Amino acid sequence: MDERYVRQTILPEIGPQGQERLAHAGVLIAGTGGLGSVTALYLAAAGIGHIKIVDHDSLEPSNLNRQIIHSEAFLGQPKVISAADRMKALNPTIRVTPVRTRITSANIDALLDGVEIIVDGSDNYETRQVLNRASLRHGLPFVYAGVRGFDAMISSFVPGRTACFECIVTGGDAPVGRVSGIVGPAAGMAASFQAMETLKLILGIGKPLENRMVCISGLDMRIHCVNLNSNPQCKACGQISNPDKRL
Amino acid sequence: MRIQLNGIEETIPKEMTIKALIEWAKEGDPHLIVEQNGKYIYPSAYDNHPVFENDTIEFINPNLGG
Repeated sequence: MDERYVRQTILPEIGPQGQERLAHAGVLIAGTGGLGSVTALYLAAAGIGHIKIVDHDSLEPSNLNRQIIHSEAFLGQPKVISAADRMKALNPTIRVTPVRTRITSANIDALLDGVEIIVDGSDNYETRQVLNRASLRHGLPFVYAGVRGFDAMISSFVPGRTACFECIVTGGDAPVGRVSGIVGPAAGMAASFQAMETLKLILGIGKPLENRMVCISGLDMRIHCVNLNSNPQCKACGQISNPDKRL
Repeated sequence: MRIQLNGIEETIPKEMTIKALIEWAKEGDPHLIVEQNGKYIYPSAYDNHPVFENDTIEFINPNLGG
């Protein structure tokens, strides 16, 4: 067993068998921004065997206050190249697949080949809707997080066991052109929760955030856990039992 | 009547629904999540779901940034 993992394999919840399980896991990280930057590093460090990172953007100076996987040397280059370079430097024993594309309903099914968990690193409602519906179609857990300002929220949506993202968050995006502020630690907190949830879901340990959503207000450091339940009128998961309607 | 709204004690008019409380609090977020006494309330229930004395209500604005 690789010495790099010894501080986690000595945990009885993980052990050598758990590490082996992580080595055979495949995870998709949808976006390498504030959230994906941190989940990618933690999941790479933990020894997830195959991490697919997907992002269409190039690195801009305004990304660097929070997207800590990247560095100034990569300005102007595709974020997935910058992120993959850092992940491989951190852990050369894992496989990283960078995919430079915008996630859409047309390409998500192909992107999920070999993937068992979808980690949300997106920054808009539309992409999350695509990820949520793919999660439902393929029966894959969708580890959601969202951030704004000093705040963060996180939940694990698991088809067949929990409400889905669209049971809870309805409606579209904010008007185009509106840029919201964010501090790096808000994204870092949310992404750390996501990495923890991903490891738990792969290993089948602990109590994932199923039908619960953690909401963190960073300014007054108030942490609240909301109990969720499926919406029978949900336009996404409410259609699962109807084979005539494609999600 | 008195309720706990987002951790703060508030005095609100009697016989309010969740929808009326949202308007009273001037919450404009179309994605708002409402939790009443630890239970998630569906948006379709806002119109006729009553607010009671001593309720603990959380208005949560979903974060969609990343």
